[in-house]
Amino acid sequence: MKILVLLKQTFDTEAKITIEGGKISRSGVSMIINPYDEFAVEEALKIKESLGGEVTVVSTGDDGVQDALRQALAMGADKAVLINPGTDDVDEFTAATVLAKAVSGMEYDLILAGWRAVDDGSAQVAGRVAEILGIPIAKLASKIDVEAGKATATCEIEGGTEVIELPLPAIITAQKGLNEPRYPSMKGIMQAKKKPMEKKGLGDIGLDAGAVAAKVKVLSVALPAARAAGKVFDGEPADTSAAVVKALREEAKVI
Amino acid sequence: MKNNLIKPITQEFSEYLKDESRITGAAESISFPRTREDVVTIMKELYPKGIHVTVQGARTGVTAGAVPKGGHIMNLSRMDGISAIRKDNKGSFCITVQAGITLSGLRKQIKDRNFDVLKWSTESRITFEEFCKAPEHFFSPDPTETSATLGGMAACNASGACSFLYGPIRRHITALKIVLCSGHTLTIRRGETFASGRKLDLITDQGHSFTVYLPAYEMPKTKNASGYYVENDMDAIDLFIGSQGTLGIITDIEVGLMPFPRIVWGICCLFENERDAVVFAAVLREQLTNIAAIEFFDRDSLAILRTQKKENPAFARLRIIEERLNAAVYIELHCDQENLAIESLAKINQLMIESGGSEKDSWVARNNTNRDSLLFFRHAVPESVNMLIDRRKKEDPSITKLGADMSVPGHRLHHVMSMYRSMLDESGLQSAIWGHIGDNHLHVNILPHNEEEYKKGQALVALWAAEITKLGGSVSAEHGIGKLKTVFLTMMYGQDHVNEMAALKAVFDPKGLLCAGNMFVPLVAER
Ligand SMILES: Cc1cc2nc3c(=O)[nH]c(=O)nc-3n(C[C@H](O)[C@H](O)[C@H](O)COP(=O)(O)OP(=O)(O)OC[C@H]3O[C@@H](n4cnc5c(N)ncnc54)[C@H](O)[C@@H]3O)c2cc1C
Ligand SMILES: Cc1cc2nc3c(=O)[nH]c(=O)nc-3n(C[C@H](O)[C@H](O)[C@H](O)COP(=O)(O)OP(=O)(O)OC[C@H]3O[C@@H](n4cnc5c(N)ncnc54)[C@H](O)[C@@H]3O)c2cc1C
Repeated sequence: MKILVLLKQTFDTEAKITIEGGKISRSGVSMIINPYDEFAVEEALKIKESLGGEVTVVSTGDDGVQDALRQALAMGADKAVLINPGTDDVDEFTAATVLAKAVSGMEYDLILAGWRAVDDGSAQVAGRVAEILGIPIAKLASKIDVEAGKATATCEIEGGTEVIELPLPAIITAQKGLNEPRYPSMKGIMQAKKKPMEKKGLGDIGLDAGAVAAKVKVLSVALPAARAAGKVFDGEPADTSAAVVKALREEAKVI
Repeated sequence: MKNNLIKPITQEFSEYLKDESRITGAAESISFPRTREDVVTIMKELYPKGIHVTVQGARTGVTAGAVPKGGHIMNLSRMDGISAIRKDNKGSFCITVQAGITLSGLRKQIKDRNFDVLKWSTESRITFEEFCKAPEHFFSPDPTETSATLGGMAACNASGACSFLYGPIRRHITALKIVLCSGHTLTIRRGETFASGRKLDLITDQGHSFTVYLPAYEMPKTKNASGYYVENDMDAIDLFIGSQGTLGIITDIEVGLMPFPRIVWGICCLFENERDAVVFAAVLREQLTNIAAIEFFDRDSLAILRTQKKENPAFARLRIIEERLNAAVYIELHCDQENLAIESLAKINQLMIESGGSEKDSWVARNNTNRDSLLFFRHAVPESVNMLIDRRKKEDPSITKLGADMSVPGHRLHHVMSMYRSMLDESGLQSAIWGHIGDNHLHVNILPHNEEEYKKGQALVALWAAEITKLGGSVSAEHGIGKLKTVFLTMMYGQDHVNEMAALKAVFDPKGLLCAGNMFVPLVAER
């Protein structure tokens, strides 16, 4: 069984978002594997452990993404492929076009991905890749079973679950609850240094800048309005509680 | 002078009668000073009247040091400002805080570089600008309970997991301001005032000079928070760190900061055999230099976690620990280069296998998110044990958690581990052992079901204290003596040396009124 995992590197979920020069600043932010993609990596490793095979993690991004790929290799993936899109201006169309093209030159039985990335949250890329490759997709899986020639995914839908059978090759996207991703072991981290990391440019996979140019233009980004500072009422409890009620009624007008 | 700082104790202040030891004391009045001047005013008002004063920080202490025994409670938690920053002659940043600031508050302000500089001197403001541009810094002392105040931490010489590499708070305090019973103040900067042998001359900021004779004992050569810190030719500042409020009230503290290491990795090594884990911890510290923490968890701690994960949704995110695994060692690696970290990892992995572990049984957390969940694992152990005891206490109020907090010299580690294990197994009492194995300092917790077991446990702890003393260890390595472990302090140093401590205190507090009952029964030299 040859399994590919589409893996995006995202901001640490604890990261404090700041804007500098009209863009989200990356300085001082630590980067992690998109948590849903970590479920996908774990699931790929489990399938490999029970059926045998090979797990390849595929990502598009700059050299900094190698750290996330190494983490997946340390968890137990066999190979990593990184395609540099040659631009920072990447939308869902760009990412899906690059990934689909890279993947179409590889052997695979199953592609796993996260159902969405926690940064942009557009939940589009896996679906687009499936469309470009012309293969079936099941989204938001919380359970995946694989046997010869087919996969069965239990997927979240509004108000319930849906069990979908897909002929392979297919794409399945991971939802929380699918599994508990492992930590790499010490041995895993040392081995990861020696595992193959293939780095490619657009030309290497037969694309050019024009073919992947983003279709979405970001006009501006803004932080949500900061919460106003709290107010401290100091003094005897009897007086302060009266003051709090008064403020809630007259200033905040909530009671 | 009548002042409105001192308030009578009413129902609303009842929580201030106890601390995390869960022992309840008594008091007639309470104050929440905001400045050093307030503290002086209160002492000048109460001391001449012969009123007892118990100093409090956040009341997270577990040995009843902050529990009042009548008289007045002076709670410093409202003195929580940061007043200055400077660079010392080695180029390190030092910041001055009021004693009531909490560790979590201090950490956050350092991390966000967000200080209220409005009232700062121009010099401090200039240094602050430099600090904002410098790489990330941190304050290393890391007791598990981050709501503790810096004053309480200084008074107990607090330490944490990373004290293995960075030492307890003592090593990071560069200056103190202390209000004495007389209302005079002492300002002591590290490196300026030294004892000559065991004789120490001090002079207050108001110009009163006096001499104290330091007790003659030798301190154990282990991690230690029992009794006064004394040694020949010592720096005067060290006498006050760890003095548990008995000599004076610490109002201002200057601490040194350090650059934050570029790489912080958490590693959890799991073992089937508990002894192998102890062997591993012991060789680890001899062979590696960039390890900041080495923590141990025994089979009972792991069993408690397994139950929590099953029964309590708040602990659902705990990792599954297979039943076959009986001990864990948590390691924190701090260094500045990734290839060094990987080299250390290779070494740790090799030592783990040589000690009897299996290379598949380790977890490495390379990023903050993963490390947070390893830390959650670490914190879940004491928290779960406390929850367990609270539940049992409801059924039998006579019991509480019994904990030993003792350390021994390095070559005695295996000996005490097998002593704890065999005596606990023999007693049939439920227990959990975890803690700072790198410093030969384990928290041995006994979890009684009823009064009979509680008493049996108490007797066991007393036996250990006697044995630890024989081995040249310390009866309290971290939590301090407070009011609960005074018997052990006498056991450790003997009555004569305890009398010397009391005589030392009497120079600062001739009426025996300040935090009386902490460490020993104070002398009353005058009325
Ligand atoms: C967990 C979750 C998260 C989501 N997050 C987001 C989000 O962040 N942003 C967002 O915008 N949406 C979100 N959605 C909603 C959903 O993803 C979008 O509405 C999506 O566009 C639906 O696409 P679909 O192909 O599944 O369409 P369907 O569910 O099949 O259809 C949607 C509608 O399109 C019309 N339609 C579909 N096919 C045809 C047809 N052949 N002919 C005529 N009309 C047709 C119908 O009116 C139909 O009701 C989320 C949904 C889920 C379950
Ligand atoms: C869950 C838990 C985990 C803990 N983990 C650790 C740990 O890892 N390491 C550790 O070292 N401790 C630990 N402790 C113990 C406790 O947090 C520390 O002893 C802490 O330093 C106490 O600080 P505090 O502000 O709460 O002091 P308090 O409890 O208020 O006071 C402690 C003692 O210091 C004196 N004191 C307080 N402030 C002053 C002052 N300004 N001047 C003079 N004397 C003063 C008091 O009189 C008292 O004797 C833990 C406690 C709990 C409940």
